[in-house]
Amino acid sequence: MTTLVLTLVLSSYAPQQAGSALLDPPREARVQALGKQLRCPMCQGLSIADSSSSAARAQMDKVRELVAAGKSDQEIRDYFTSRYGEWALLEPPASGMNILVWILPLLLLVGGGLAIARTMRRPVPPAPPAAPEARPASEDPYLEAVRAELRR
Amino acid sequence: MTRRGLWIGLALAALTAVLLFVLASGFGRDPHEVPFQLRGKPAPDFTLKRLDNGAPVKLADLKGKPVVLNFWASWCGPCKVEHPVIAWGARKFGQEAQFYGVVFEDTEENARAFAGAPDPSFPQLIDDRSRMAVDYGVTGVPETYFIDAAGILRDKVAAPVDPQTLAAKIASLKRPGPVSEVVR
Repeated sequence: MTTLVLTLVLSSYAPQQAGSALLDPPREARVQALGKQLRCPMCQGLSIADSSSSAARAQMDKVRELVAAGKSDQEIRDYFTSRYGEWALLEPPASGMNILVWILPLLLLVGGGLAIARTMRRPVPPAPPAAPEARPASEDPYLEAVRAELRR
Repeated sequence: MTRRGLWIGLALAALTAVLLFVLASGFGRDPHEVPFQLRGKPAPDFTLKRLDNGAPVKLADLKGKPVVLNFWASWCGPCKVEHPVIAWGARKFGQEAQFYGVVFEDTEENARAFAGAPDPSFPQLIDDRSRMAVDYGVTGVPETYFIDAAGILRDKVAAPVDPQTLAAKIASLKRPGPVSEVVR
């Protein structure tokens, strides 16, 4: 069982082909910046630039290949979304249904702020006269005697 | 309730409904599930060399008969379990489909030792730097892709495939339209 678990866990991070050679510094910086925007398919919320998994390594090699081929950043993002969907982007674009994720919190914040401001501006109504405290008559003469003593 | 209060209530109800919709659509799916975007689209072309004799294999030359592509690596434990199933499929359905293995992120030496030892019943292809695998949207191994006779990517299994699933997927390649996706 332990062997099976270790095999399954380690199989994503096993020795693999050596990565492709780095490009010249300006283009390699683009590769790393793009890699930071793309989600590793085998990890939890990691970019392919930050992951050492085999799939991330393969995708980084592809980014490097596309940068070397002269593709623009948008063309490279499009390449990945055409294969992995918007899931591939660590930060989904603010368009379509995604726009709700950006707008709703703002709307709720503004709405909540307005509601608070409105409540604070409203004059405080005068407090109603306090009703005389109803004291139930105790049926226990001993308790009544103690109370009378305390009141003295 | 005043008219103004009614409008505010309606606006809050609408906002809550939208929020619930967004949350329901988000929670309704597995966050680890990578969408299969290429379903129903032409399979990306490739030319890869065979592991055994170095001969080039071009997808365009395989048109006219369905193709089953199985991505694997020698370092992948589940691939060892799956390999005999694919080898069985290649023997059983060899008349209906062409089976190829594609080595993912591995060395030729290790792949040769792996593929040669158990059963060299279907050709293995070497994918340098996994370029072709990323073209197909591979997220890990093992993954198996099903291409119909017209060269359209019809389905994939992102898990070790079992004999029943393999038989069903190959049968479905003869029918029009996409079939369901099995996700790891």
